[in-house]
Amino acid sequence: MVFNSYTFIVFFILILILHNLPFSWKTKKINLLLASYVFYAAWNPPFILLLWLSTVVDFFVGRALYTQDNVAKKRLLLVVSLIGNLGMLCFFKYGTFVLDNFVTLVNAMGVNYHPARPNIILPAGISFYTFTTLCYTIDMYKRKSEPVKSMLDFSLFVTFFPHLVAGPIVRPPQLVPQFETEHKATQNQLLQGLFLMTLGLFMKVVLADSMLSATANTVFGSEGKLLALDAWMGVLAFSGQIFFDFAGYSTCAIGVAMTLGFVLPQNFFYPYAAIGFSDFWRRWHITLSAWLRDYLYIPLGGNRNGKVRTYINLMITMLLGGLWHGANWTFVVWGGLHGFYLWVEKVIADYRHDKVAAIETTASEEVGVLGPVPETFKPKNFRNFSIALFTFFLINVTWVFFRANTFTKAWYLLKSMFGFMAKEAPMLTTLSIIKVSVIVTCMVIAHWVMRNTKVLDVVPKLSWWLLGTVWTVMLLLIILSQESSSSFIYFQF
Amino acid sequence: MPASSLAKSAIFAAVLVIISIILWELFLRSKGFEITYNDDPSLWTNKRDMVYEPADKATVFIGSSRIKFDLDIPTWEGITGNHAIQLACVGSNPVPILENLAADNNFKGRLVVDVTEGLFFDKSADQRPRDNMKYYTERTPSQRASFYVNQLLESQFVMLDKEWLSLGAMMDKLPVNNRPGVYKFGGFPAGFGRVNFNRQEYMTDKFSSDTVMQNIVKNIWVACIKASKEPPPTGAMVDTMIMSVKIAVDKIQARGGQVFFIRTPSSGGAKIGETMFFPREKYWDKLLAVTKCPGLHYEDYPAIDHFICPENSHLSLTDAKTFTINFIKILSEEKGWKFPKPIAL
Repeated sequence: MVFNSYTFIVFFILILILHNLPFSWKTKKINLLLASYVFYAAWNPPFILLLWLSTVVDFFVGRALYTQDNVAKKRLLLVVSLIGNLGMLCFFKYGTFVLDNFVTLVNAMGVNYHPARPNIILPAGISFYTFTTLCYTIDMYKRKSEPVKSMLDFSLFVTFFPHLVAGPIVRPPQLVPQFETEHKATQNQLLQGLFLMTLGLFMKVVLADSMLSATANTVFGSEGKLLALDAWMGVLAFSGQIFFDFAGYSTCAIGVAMTLGFVLPQNFFYPYAAIGFSDFWRRWHITLSAWLRDYLYIPLGGNRNGKVRTYINLMITMLLGGLWHGANWTFVVWGGLHGFYLWVEKVIADYRHDKVAAIETTASEEVGVLGPVPETFKPKNFRNFSIALFTFFLINVTWVFFRANTFTKAWYLLKSMFGFMAKEAPMLTTLSIIKVSVIVTCMVIAHWVMRNTKVLDVVPKLSWWLLGTVWTVMLLLIILSQESSSSFIYFQF
Repeated sequence: MPASSLAKSAIFAAVLVIISIILWELFLRSKGFEITYNDDPSLWTNKRDMVYEPADKATVFIGSSRIKFDLDIPTWEGITGNHAIQLACVGSNPVPILENLAADNNFKGRLVVDVTEGLFFDKSADQRPRDNMKYYTERTPSQRASFYVNQLLESQFVMLDKEWLSLGAMMDKLPVNNRPGVYKFGGFPAGFGRVNFNRQEYMTDKFSSDTVMQNIVKNIWVACIKASKEPPPTGAMVDTMIMSVKIAVDKIQARGGQVFFIRTPSSGGAKIGETMFFPREKYWDKLLAVTKCPGLHYEDYPAIDHFICPENSHLSLTDAKTFTINFIKILSEEKGWKFPKPIAL
């Protein structure tokens, strides 16, 4: 079930009513759990079995990992959990990819091998809930937090519908304690949640789907031989589309949770105002980058084993982060480019003896929340704005590999963007160019203006009628767009 | 912000939204807009689910836009007592749907295939049918539920008309000049192609009498022909296409199903072009001869050969009713079709 559908509106109203009826806390949690299963089964009911399997295995393995003192047995349990979780993810997400590459390799070696292509359907949200359960078992192995006492709380932690399918990727200490005591939204939380839901839907339905997706689809659906203006407009449109789509989903998820009285971690923090790439990764898909930092980069050694090893660790993290997004080498190159940018940034930082390290910096003691750390609050001056614009420019180059499904298309598009293609006929309408230019410009400016604050910090500063007017405009544009039920881009990951 | 201020904003927004929607809806109705349905894959899938009705109770129609306009479903169902299941897709080649039905062993019913040669023999015009069939096979429980909520709302609000009244559609109609060489599809006038829940399309009375709007559509047909990159297929290519149709037809007939081809009327420039590029003996006649299926070509029947299509390609609603009555008469009297109701015309 997607947030931008009428079915979800009906579902949400029912849940809200149920959650506010005078039931016991346990009954309310069971309601939420059942609702979450319904929410998930609305895609493909059989895949709920995978979710149950993952939940049950990790609950018991996690508990055993925490209590087990024998190191060998403990490692064995961890391996069981990793194989169970990552095995499912690899089979469903990377099975076909691995087979294709294997076939290409053996064919190149002269072996005539052409197996039937398996038709594997990717279960919705598997990348997200796998990371959610993995961090639990790894935390139990390291005894970083207490095991969850109740199966009900653990199941709800894994399955809680606002975050289940596309994040934010939550960690047990962020959510489980909220299930231990009764939570019901205050009037303020309810209204703030509804406002965030409206904002999220506005970003997704109006800006991503209605205004930008057609231009991005036209340009990336072409053969890639375009005028520079058209190529740039297509890439900028996608740049806006993916932000509004994914940040819109996260904003909705946070809003939905808030209307029920729960707090989910922030997932986006005005990423296109990032001053450099380490700053970008503190602002874009924050819960994933924090996950990769804590469960991949740091276990690999982080920056503790010398400079060369740090660079290698950084690149491995970004390459695997790229692969997490999709089973295609173009995603790996996307991650590799970000790794390269982080390298360059780190070289400069090392040369200047800056205190800001590439990806691992966090002053926050709070588990899992990378969030805005104080050193990212750089002054908003012209120099930093120029760096932010340059960062945005380089990010757009990476989006080409993220969106193009083949290297040939990506290469043609890059050549078009930088004027290396033979003169081609114009493709985009003037209206498309105006829409993309206006929306992307406003987006970058809004990110810069808001870069050190949050929406819910700004809302109280507005007069009630101004906020009401903004709210009205967003709602009317959502209704007028008539773009219901289209899937979110990150669902495919 | 104190909760009371936020509540004030929320109430203010809710009131403004409700007032705006009511005013917008009333304005559109005052301008003559009528209820129309979004002819998307979910509506097509809703009809695709119905094809298993017994052959004597229902008839499935596939094809391009012409059969959607020319078959008046209330007239058909009223006279025959037979359920018309409309699976035709505008601007499309119906062969992928024919093959889909042929591959479905549970389909044993009656099938009418509309032949608009320019699309029937264009293999590239298959996007819409393929999108619809993909949706049909991959539909989620959530999408099933959303369909019922959507159609409930669409049946009440004129403003829920994605093709003409959505934000994107309205913006696309802004008079903004393009760079030379940029092709922009201007869209059909609002009175052309209204869609009922049964997927019948029709043109409004205003459109049927407004030559300016009709000329806009005529120009769109001309632009479509100019934009087509490939010449019409000939010779062996046509033979191959017809053979693939025969394979599908044979499968349906082998399990007791019936297939009937129909060539619906065109007039003016469309008729001249079709006669020139798709001579009957090389396409239509060959199709019937190879597949050994019965068929109806409008030129063979004076009762349906006189229609003037307002935009050269589709019948007005009034003519669609007359055409449907005569179509039933021919099926009943000449082609031996039996219907649940006795036919008295």
